[in-house]
Formats: sequence, C-alpha cells, structure tokens
Amino acid sequence: MHCKELESVLETEGLGQLPKDARLHLATCGACQAFVADLNSIVSAAKSLPAEVNPPDRIWISLRAQLEAEGLIKEPVEVSEQPAWWESFSAWLKPRTFATVTAAALVLAAVVFVTRIPHGSDPGVAKNQPVAESTRPAQPQVTVSAPAATTLPANAAHAQALAPSKAKELAPSPSESASFTLSQAELDVPNMQLAGNSQVDLALRQNLRTLNAFIAECELHLKQNPQDELAREYLNTAYQQKADLLAAMMESGRGEN
Amino acid sequence: MVGNPADAEDLMQEAFLQLFRKIGTFRGESAFSTWLHRMTVNVVLMRLRKKSLPTDSLEETLESDGENSGPKRDVGAPDLRLSGAVDRVNLERSIEKLPPGYRTVFVLHDVQGYEHNEIADIMGCSVGNSKSQLHKARTRLRDLLQEEIRQQAREERKAAKTPTGSLD
Repeated sequence: MHCKELESVLETEGLGQLPKDARLHLATCGACQAFVADLNSIVSAAKSLPAEVNPPDRIWISLRAQLEAEGLIKEPVEVSEQPAWWESFSAWLKPRTFATVTAAALVLAAVVFVTRIPHGSDPGVAKNQPVAESTRPAQPQVTVSAPAATTLPANAAHAQALAPSKAKELAPSPSESASFTLSQAELDVPNMQLAGNSQVDLALRQNLRTLNAFIAECELHLKQNPQDELAREYLNTAYQQKADLLAAMMESGRGEN
Repeated sequence: MVGNPADAEDLMQEAFLQLFRKIGTFRGESAFSTWLHRMTVNVVLMRLRKKSLPTDSLEETLESDGENSGPKRDVGAPDLRLSGAVDRVNLERSIEKLPPGYRTVFVLHDVQGYEHNEIADIMGCSVGNSKSQLHKARTRLRDLLQEEIRQQAREERKAAKTPTGSLD
C-alpha cells in the first residue's frame, strides 16, 4: 500500500479500525504515522470543545418579541388566582367536621320541610308560619328538590294564571324554587335559640356561610352558562347540603334549649 | 459556522423564527432535532451566499491532488507533530478559518458527536460526501494548526531578537 492509498482509506473509513494493509503501511511509514497521530490529536481536542453554547438571555427576549409581533405566539391567558367553583366545592367537602355533621343531619333533614308544611294545606299556597314543636314528625322525609313542598315566589303564582306555554316560561326553575325555600328556612336561623358559644354551633354557622357563598357562585355561573349540567348538579347538591345543615342547626338549637 | 458571535446570534434568532413560521411543514419523517439542524444550516448558508463567501459544495467528489499525494510535507520546514500542541484556543482559531462546508461537518461530527448518516440528513448530502468532507476538514485543520505553531515560533524568535535580548 502507498501513502496515497492510505489516505483514501482514511477518507472513506475514518480513523477507526483500519484494514490490515493500512496497518502494515503505517508500521513502516513515518510520515503517515505522524499524519494519523496529528489527526487523532485534533479529534481528541475537538471532543473537549463545548458541544452547545447557550445564547445570552437577550436573544430569547428579542426572539419572543419578534414572534409576538408576527402573531406567531400569543401571551398566555392569566389564570385567576381564585380557584374554580368546583375546586371550592370539593375543598369545602373535605373537612371531616362537615362530613360528620352532614351524616348526622341526614337523619333529621326532613324535619325542616315536614314541620314547614302545615298538615292538610295546599303545597302551592304561600304560607310562612313558624313551625310548632307539636307538628314536627319524628322522622324527616322531605328533600329540597321537590318544589311542590315549597312556597313559590310571587311570579310563580302569577304564572299559574297564564296560558300553559307562557306559564312555562315564567314558572320558576327547580333551582329557583329550592333557593327560595332554603332562604326562607334560613330566616329562622337567627331566631333560633342556638347556643352560640358551642364549638359545634360555631362550626355549623361557618359552614353555612361558606355554603351560601358557594351557592351564590354556582347560581351566577349558571346564569352565564345555563347549559352547564355539571354546574347544575353541583348546585342541587349544594342545596341538599344546605338543607341538611339547616336541619342540623335547628336540631342543635332545640337540643341546647 | 459563521466565525463570529454577533453573526451567530443573529442567525440563531433567524433560525428559530423560521422554525415557528414553518413548524406546520414538519412531517415527522426525521427527528425534530435533525429537521431543526437542517433548517439552521440552510439559514446560515443562505446568509453566507448573500455575503458571497465561499461555501464549499458538499457534493464535490474526491479530488486527486497528484500521483504521489499523501500526507503533505512542508517544504523547507521540519515536520511539526501536533501531539501535545493542540490546545483549545489554537483549535477554535483554526476552526474559524475553515471553509463553511468543512467547518459544518467537522463541528457536527467531532464536536457535537453526530453520525455520518445524521449529518447527511442535515446537510442534504450522501454519507460518502460527509466522510470525505470530514477528512478534508481534519487535514485542513492540521495544516492550519501547523501554520499556527510556525507563526508562534516566529514571534518567539522575533521577541528574542529585541535590543534587550539580542543574540550575540
């Protein structure tokens, strides 16, 4: 093998494992030995060079500005620091205190609605009489989602006198009915002779305030997004929870007295 | 590839702008890094062509330099072995003096560790051409480094001949 042939081999095969002929030539040719040694030194030195060089920050800032100017990227939408309404609801459900109170209140939940409806009266007639102790049944049975057991708002009474299609438009939604009923029940809370200094009572009142805030947020959300079925389901659940809570508060008040 | 940081920063920005403008054309036929590298090389080569700087064709075939061509010997100067004399500063200076095509292949292979098939994909050439260009780049670097050593030796001798250190 001649020197020229060795260089051709180096060009096509690189500096890796050389064929036998090339190795034999290298063993006898000093010039080619020096040449190969120099190339290996260059390759070794090249490996010590940084493979990547980070550009200065101003390059990224300038790039971003130009991308925004061309409309290729947009500023991210700021996420509100306030948690989403479902996050507030799920966070509110976590405390064990509320879970315990709710479980105990479920047994007494019907007391609120049963005692609110005088015996033999028309469910559609507006009545707002204070509940007498003698009329309260032992077992609660009523749930919030039954608008027939509630006192209807004034526009609902008016709607009943209209044509069916028009009445349907003006009739309150189940949510509105439930909201009204609960609001009426809540009016009695301050009148209850609750032991305001007990830990349970304080917790119940705090829970009621939190729940009211959540219901208000849900109702606002549904006004803006009436098709959001998940929100409606959450709101109905919240109404149920409020009913349970009010029942527990009333029971607590009677027990303290 | 361009030999100075200012041009490198401008071209880096231009390459990323092209990336965002043409991201919709990426078909996934190659790795994303390969596609980005290819785009970057094209951006740089276009800039160099605008400046009318020599851009060696990556498709050039093996050239014959003579019947007995082999490792070149410097006429009138002793052979300068580079072993132990290839430091980082000298090497970077010599790389900047390489023609863009040689420089690209050398940096991709010996500095960044790409394989020849990847380089061929990035540069749009054949694997054989990539190997050929790499060998020529290394050979040219050897010549440049030897010249660098000679230049340093001349400067040292010149410094030694100053009135305060004249040789007598």
